[in-house]
Amino acid sequence: MMTSRNNTRSIESYLNGTLSHADRLLFEARLIIDPVLKRDLFFQKKTHLLIKMYHREKLKEELETVHQKIFNDPEKIDFRRSIYQLFK
Amino acid sequence: METLEKIEDVVITLSEHHEIAEIYEQVFPAVAKFINSKGGSFEDAKDIFHDALVIFIEKKTENPEYTIKSNRAYIVGISKHLWYRKCQKDRHSISLNSMEAEVVIPDDYFPTTNNTQLLDFLKIAGKRCLDLLRAFYFQRSPIKEIVRDLDYSHEHSVSVQKYKCLEKVRKTVKEKSLTYDDFTE
Repeated sequence: MMTSRNNTRSIESYLNGTLSHADRLLFEARLIIDPVLKRDLFFQKKTHLLIKMYHREKLKEELETVHQKIFNDPEKIDFRRSIYQLFK
Repeated sequence: METLEKIEDVVITLSEHHEIAEIYEQVFPAVAKFINSKGGSFEDAKDIFHDALVIFIEKKTENPEYTIKSNRAYIVGISKHLWYRKCQKDRHSISLNSMEAEVVIPDDYFPTTNNTQLLDFLKIAGKRCLDLLRAFYFQRSPIKEIVRDLDYSHEHSVSVQKYKCLEKVRKTVKEKSLTYDDFTE
């Protein structure tokens, strides 16, 4: 019986595509007979998507900082004016 | 858990990333001009441009060997696609050059309400794990850098912490999800 930790690692390798051909076939066979593994795979995929969403949110926060830096930099006044001019 | 609190200190944020600042200045005017020509506001232009930059950064990080022929054309193309989507317009009604027509918004870019609520919960329940997992999976921070900057004794302990976090988040996701029944039907 695989431990939960091994389960997590093997699911990660499966999702990353880093399993050997033989191990991949074995993993897919286990998925058919092991509902717990199948469920863990589903939720690990979902976890990965949620971390990706989190990453995107953080990137947008960081881009807001970049925006503020540029739009508050006295040396960038011409750049700023050219943008504001468009929306007058 | 003390070491995990330092994770944000070791990740280089975009504001320190000169390439992104340069791209910002080079490409934002073209996106602003496009959005303005379609009746959008300054805030619309900024929001669309930031989403396009997120997709651009993701593409570059996920596959560093993938060559984007023109950063500008890629980002402007994504911005146009995002604008069509926002306005629910037929993309054929607005002209795209060949490069712009090729770029694609990722299928999973717009989250469902359920996933947004779930992420809000995770941010309260386990933000430190989210930061660590983000560094591993999406910022692709080399494990050696994390070991060095977080004062771990060796790579193995960081790796163990990563899997502990992954299991913890997965367990929470499982407990809070309603979708698995749909999946199994």
